[in-house]
Amino acid sequence: MKPRIAIFSLTSCEGCSLAILELEDQLLALLGGVEIVNFREGMTERAWDIDVGFVDGAVSTPQDEEEIRKLREHCRTLVAIGACACLGGVNTLKHQQPPLEYREYVYGAGAKWFPTTSARPLSAVVKVDYELPGCPMVKEEFLHFVKCALTGKQFRLPADPVCTECKKLGNLCRYEKGELCMGPLTRAGCRAICPAYGSVCEGCRGLLGADAVAAAREVFPARYGVPFDRIADRLRLYGAYQDDGENAISGVLQPSR
Amino acid sequence: MTGRILSHAELIELIDLLGASRRLIGPVRRGDHYFYEPVAGAARLALDAPQCVYSPKSFLFPPEETLLTFEKESGRFVAQPVLHDAPIALIAVRPCDIHGIRLLDHVFAAPPGDAHYEARRRQTFILGMDCAEPCRAEAFCADMSANTAHLGFDLMVARLAEKLEARATYAIEAGSETGENVLAEFGRGRAPGAVDEAARAERAARKRQAFPKRLRCDVDELPMALQRGFASKTWAQTAQRCYSCGSCNLVCPTCYCFNIRDDISLDGNCGSRVREWDGCQLRDFALVAGGHNFRSDPAQRLRHRVMRKGRWIQDRTGLPGCVGCGRCDGACTAKISIREMFNALAEEAGHDGD
Ligand code: SF4
Ligand code: SF4
Ligand code: SF4
Ligand code: SF4
Ligand code: SF4
Repeated sequence: MKPRIAIFSLTSCEGCSLAILELEDQLLALLGGVEIVNFREGMTERAWDIDVGFVDGAVSTPQDEEEIRKLREHCRTLVAIGACACLGGVNTLKHQQPPLEYREYVYGAGAKWFPTTSARPLSAVVKVDYELPGCPMVKEEFLHFVKCALTGKQFRLPADPVCTECKKLGNLCRYEKGELCMGPLTRAGCRAICPAYGSVCEGCRGLLGADAVAAAREVFPARYGVPFDRIADRLRLYGAYQDDGENAISGVLQPSR
Repeated sequence: MTGRILSHAELIELIDLLGASRRLIGPVRRGDHYFYEPVAGAARLALDAPQCVYSPKSFLFPPEETLLTFEKESGRFVAQPVLHDAPIALIAVRPCDIHGIRLLDHVFAAPPGDAHYEARRRQTFILGMDCAEPCRAEAFCADMSANTAHLGFDLMVARLAEKLEARATYAIEAGSETGENVLAEFGRGRAPGAVDEAARAERAARKRQAFPKRLRCDVDELPMALQRGFASKTWAQTAQRCYSCGSCNLVCPTCYCFNIRDDISLDGNCGSRVREWDGCQLRDFALVAGGHNFRSDPAQRLRHRVMRKGRWIQDRTGLPGCVGCGRCDGACTAKISIREMFNALAEEAGHDGD
């Protein structure tokens, strides 16, 4: 029997689910290998026996929390896709303001009818089996994940930084332009798309590990005259919650609550 | 004196002659920097480019290449090798990079030989461009005896008159039979006269003065200094800043490590085997089955690289493992300098010897 996969969205722009639709020609091949159920962006049928559930978006409301718990129950394997679901993503920017203030900004007079919580990655609420980070998620990595699932190969995120992909492409390093790029600290897999198009990496795929963060604490103040806090602020944009699962660095970038 | 003297226009013609039967690859200007790129004709080239951001290594040993494809035929996988042997001409390759290619030649020729590298290399023509002065502050090519190349090219060009490029003259010499034949076929330029001899001698004298000594030890003393410094504190101290990003590896003209992976189709019926550059500074480089990592500490990885560049490769191949191009220094966003590490260890070794 074909594995049944499903795609869900919590609080997000749903860009990650759309990235799957963007696979276009490969999507047809994909459909040959799996059965897609419950895909809100693509179809309406609902069924609740799911092998692999992909979820984008952060847990940012009480409903999100309820939904993710339910999804966890119904999905044998739960995969967080995109920066929001993996690291909190840009949703966490709201933590810069008091809750009532941002709720009034978004919902106006009806704010009190729309309760929200702090924005968290899925792993803050339920057990997550795999994470496919990035803002948006990298569609080729999604495809690779599905291939691994179909062929029984072990899936691993790249353990190298963005710089490796950047150098293989032959890009000019942004540091040569006097810009501070987060590539050396950030997990590869996006094919260094930002430096390739002339801007710096903002770390949307998350930190590589504790060693790289420790190096950054030395490098930025001593070699560039930039306090590490300012670097951490930048990394918080996409990744307020960082824990790469093997080097416990959570706490480094978590917002104070 | 052997060889010929060419005008700028003649050199351009010669390169276009090479380009008639080969894909031309040479320095192209992009903003303030130069990159080796394929060009349609010699006029597009920046022949006086100093060092390019990347060495021309990627045209012989690409960052990512398909080694073979495989397909399921009546239940069994059948593999088909993929070899690239379209002729190319690498133009204006600097001495440091020629030394780098010599090392790659040596490494990939080791039995049983790397068919993919060798197929490309056999079809590669190298036109070298000698350096009259250091290209950048980080370069210590002269200290590593790599700012001049006597071997490893088909033709070598040295610019004589340093005036306007359009009026420059070039001394050109062959370094291979193919190079000789190309010069003979071209037939242009003139035999060097007394004036050219004098210009060449003057250039050589100027070149000897132009490269400051940037290493605090002799290249022959470096391996011993490194060996003595195996337990030095320098490694851990410097590695505090190291991101383990591998940029130093990936820009190095003498790094040749790679990884191999299989890409498969969604239905699992066909796929390809791909190799891509790897680097010893990356955390998982020495990770083996069972999860053991032989060099899990950044300081061990940093030492490994510096040892290889300054000692181990030389020991094993007789060729320099580092050609002093300074690219790794420039590429390191943590500002870790291999030259400074060499110097720190040379100094420590010197004190030990006192
Ligand atoms: S531009 Fe950024 S990602 Fe690319 S090599 Fe430089 S630091 Fe690394
Ligand atoms: S370069 Fe950095 S910010 Fe850009 S997509 Fe990759 S990880 Fe994200
Ligand atoms: S490193 Fe030396 S040999 Fe290489 S380009 Fe610079 S000056 Fe020339
Ligand atoms: S180690 Fe550095 S200086 Fe030496 S050849 Fe490699 S990139 Fe050039
Ligand atoms: S480029 Fe610098 S920071 Fe990156 S691995 Fe090399 S020495 Fe370390």
